[in-house]
Amino acid sequence: MQFWYFLTALTLISALMVVLSKNPIHSVLYLVFTFFCISGHYVLLNAQFLMAVNIIVYAGAIMVLFLFVIMMLDLRRNSPDSKTNLTKLAGAVVGGTVLVIFIAATRKINLGTGADNAFYNSQTGMVENLGQILYRNYLLPFELVSILFFVAMVGAVMLGKREAGERNF
Amino acid sequence: MNAIIALSLFGITNLFLGFLNNRKILLPATLLFVLIAFGLNLADWNHEYYWFHNMLKTNNLSINFTSIILVATALVVAISRGFGNDEEHTHPAEYYGILLFSVVGAIMMVTFQSLFMLFVGIEILSVAMYVLTGSDKRNLRSNEAALKYFLMGSFATGIMLFGIALVYGATGSFDINGIGNMVNQAKLQDIMLNPYGPILYGGIILIFVGLLFKISAAPFHFWTPDVYDGAPSIFTAFMSTVVKTAGVAATYRLLSISFPAVYGLWGNPLVYITCLTLFIGNITAVYQQSFKRMLAYSSISHAGYLLITVLAKTPTTNSSILFYSLAYSIATISAFAVLMVVSEAQSKSGKPDESFTALNGLATNNPFLAFVLTVSMLSLAGIPLTAGFFGKFFIFADAFSNVSSLFKTIAVVAILMSTVGIYYYFKPIIAAYLKKGDLEKIELSPIYKLTLIITTALTILLGIAPDLVKNIF
Amino acid sequence: MFVALLICLSLVLANVVIGVYTERKVSAFMQDRLGPMVVGKYGSLQLIADLVKLLLKEDIVPKLADKWLFLAAPCMIFVAIFAGFAVIPLGPGEYLQGSQAQIGVFYLLAIVSIDIIGVLMAGWSSNNKYSLLGAMRSVAQIVSYEIPLGLSVLCVVMVSQTLNLQEISTQQGIFSGHDNYLFGLKSLGIDVTQVGGFLTWNIFRVPFFLGVFIIFFIASLAECNRAPFDLPEAESELVGGFHTEYSGMRWALIFLSEYGMMLLVSVLGVILFLGGWNSPFPNIGSVKLANWTSGEPGSWSGAIWGFVWLLAKAYMLIFVQMWVRWTFPRLRVDQLMYLTWKVLTPFSILAVFLSAIWRMLMI
Repeated sequence: MQFWYFLTALTLISALMVVLSKNPIHSVLYLVFTFFCISGHYVLLNAQFLMAVNIIVYAGAIMVLFLFVIMMLDLRRNSPDSKTNLTKLAGAVVGGTVLVIFIAATRKINLGTGADNAFYNSQTGMVENLGQILYRNYLLPFELVSILFFVAMVGAVMLGKREAGERNF
Repeated sequence: MNAIIALSLFGITNLFLGFLNNRKILLPATLLFVLIAFGLNLADWNHEYYWFHNMLKTNNLSINFTSIILVATALVVAISRGFGNDEEHTHPAEYYGILLFSVVGAIMMVTFQSLFMLFVGIEILSVAMYVLTGSDKRNLRSNEAALKYFLMGSFATGIMLFGIALVYGATGSFDINGIGNMVNQAKLQDIMLNPYGPILYGGIILIFVGLLFKISAAPFHFWTPDVYDGAPSIFTAFMSTVVKTAGVAATYRLLSISFPAVYGLWGNPLVYITCLTLFIGNITAVYQQSFKRMLAYSSISHAGYLLITVLAKTPTTNSSILFYSLAYSIATISAFAVLMVVSEAQSKSGKPDESFTALNGLATNNPFLAFVLTVSMLSLAGIPLTAGFFGKFFIFADAFSNVSSLFKTIAVVAILMSTVGIYYYFKPIIAAYLKKGDLEKIELSPIYKLTLIITTALTILLGIAPDLVKNIF
Repeated sequence: MFVALLICLSLVLANVVIGVYTERKVSAFMQDRLGPMVVGKYGSLQLIADLVKLLLKEDIVPKLADKWLFLAAPCMIFVAIFAGFAVIPLGPGEYLQGSQAQIGVFYLLAIVSIDIIGVLMAGWSSNNKYSLLGAMRSVAQIVSYEIPLGLSVLCVVMVSQTLNLQEISTQQGIFSGHDNYLFGLKSLGIDVTQVGGFLTWNIFRVPFFLGVFIIFFIASLAECNRAPFDLPEAESELVGGFHTEYSGMRWALIFLSEYGMMLLVSVLGVILFLGGWNSPFPNIGSVKLANWTSGEPGSWSGAIWGFVWLLAKAYMLIFVQMWVRWTFPRLRVDQLMYLTWKVLTPFSILAVFLSAIWRMLMI
């Protein structure tokens, strides 16, 4: 339980640092660290598969592509802030209100006294059980997600293909 | 369900047809695919099926919505003209393929039973639209529109996903019936009795944000004018008909099945959102100089009309939404069809001219196009003897039949706003008939002409005898 | 758990000593020269001299570098690779495996993929164009080659029906709980469970795993940034790639992780395809070679035999890696991408299908 508090504090701090750090590269690295902490939470829940998938997909692939792009863009030269003070104030008010609403919404929840041993199954998060659920109950979304990726892929190839007479910036 | 599977396969087939190096074959093939899907969709008529462990549910309502979506798709495909003869810069096989995939997403949005399917459907539809919006790669405004749509759209879906997670946290179910039962039984509407209530509230609001973004209701409409304006006209026509219908259908399905018990929660904000949408959509449309941008704002205002009947919750709501969607889709598509040919004929230095002045003197040499334009504008404005009149009529009737006095207020606002609408919908008609211009005779291909005849005839037919389809819905 | 940690740590440290000396000697042999000869007998103390030099060298941080990232990057690379050893079974019994987590090899693939973040950090924070270009190349290469690597591992997992590397190892020898048939074909009816040796290795149980192993080996070479896939640090183009600016101990740490990665992928290849810690000799009738060359799991002799066999096979693979390095020319970037996306990935997807079919024949 102490470890959970430690991990949660770490997650929250690194998530905050994503937003607060000035350098976008540092933000991305903090985000990677946040994903690690979330993977740590998955381990505590004995969801080993999700832990590994979270690392391999987010930390290992998506965030690396983020880093890739940001490093190419070289955002270290801070461009002048385009937002007016009014926009910033409005953003802060809206964001703060949403934060307050969600804190208020969750604080009433009774977390209970821990896992219900009668229904607790330590193997729920294992690959085998996940596969059973995924390929039985959630087969249709699983298959149709392939259409989503396919569309994204076709679109990316179509938009990214260089064409005759296109200027190369 | 069969339509989903068939369209997925047809989309892939379409991509392979691109290898044939024969651009002419794509349009008829796609049209055929959509019609086959239409037939497969109707095969389940009068049956209620749950598919794949309660992931989808098809009943007559969902089949009706799917039919409207497929009809709109078929009309859009018919006026696409095979995307011209520019071999270098257009990729019709990809466009048609992505179009079919996006219809898969739209059908998932109107038949979903699990919130998973809603999310996947919205994502498929949105990703396809992001790509198609940016498909005119050499046009900077198209690029800008695609990027804007992509960034805002992904935020909206992200927010919606958070909402789905919260609703799951509160009710323990992704199934919309299951959520509805939980909301009823666990007294989630009473915060004192159930501490999970507030989370449900938060979740519903966030799901709302995502869905209202998709149907471009104010205050989530800011992307609409730029995206509709920047996207190639043919995809704007698709966006403002299919995406809007699917979004409204999804909102209606979710609200009427899962959350009727907490009407007090979502009803009040939706009232304000509806009034705001009507107001912003109609008033800003008045100030537009571009016909295409005016149609974008008018699509915002039509989202407002559709939301009225979602709110009203009367027994006739189903048929009102369906009728309005059909009338609106047909009229919008014929308006865009006229806009496309006219703006291309008037193009200045390679860029199509989409302002009202492009329509000047349309009636002199192109009486047919001017007539089509007039009928579609009258229908959008809700003038009697067109389908749009009965669409609005049914919706106002729904609002007045609701006992709550609030609805009388909304209905009055809506009627006032539709009188404002008459002003800007008459602008193109005045330009076409009364202004002078030097537009030459525009040659139309037979399929294009046929499509325009069908849409116009349907608009007038439904305006004279709305019971023809109203009885089916 | 701590036993395995200590063994792995000392193994990784010893590996760099042995590895560098072998590398220099092997390259010298390939190029018909002598290699290091001056310090110690046959140059055997050369590496100690090099180590002392590295320890004494100044740890230079470039003025315009992002200091914290620059300092942390080598540690990040090393941690990512060393964490991969956590699930490797160095021998039978539970003491020689750091973690018996069920997720096993999947965790290994996940955690090793982190090292590209370290590489990117190193390359970017150096504030040097060669470093950045090297890091970019490295990342593009590793991310691409993770796909055939993961798919070839998936083939083995499908046949073994487990992700735990200890179970995968156990299945490939005489201590297997399941029946092993020749070529895995039950219909042939030749039970080789008690014969053991190389006949029960995965590469023999499923004959087309020879091809999968080659895919795995090529992909693992690319994952280690070893020649012919050493574009990220191509000396003739990029000075030293992402570690151009590093010196002293931090450079040594990067070097250590590079050799650690070589050892890790070799050990992984041995466990997945070449029988893990099992003896290569089969029992032939009453000549029980397999039993004589491996001890009971859980006993001291079992642990020692297993450890020795595993390392012997792993070093054989490392030798092959060095052999490849000194005989093949470097690939061009487009050839590299062609190889992974158009050759290795389709074939490994095909292999996944075949593995599913073969698994049906095995039971």
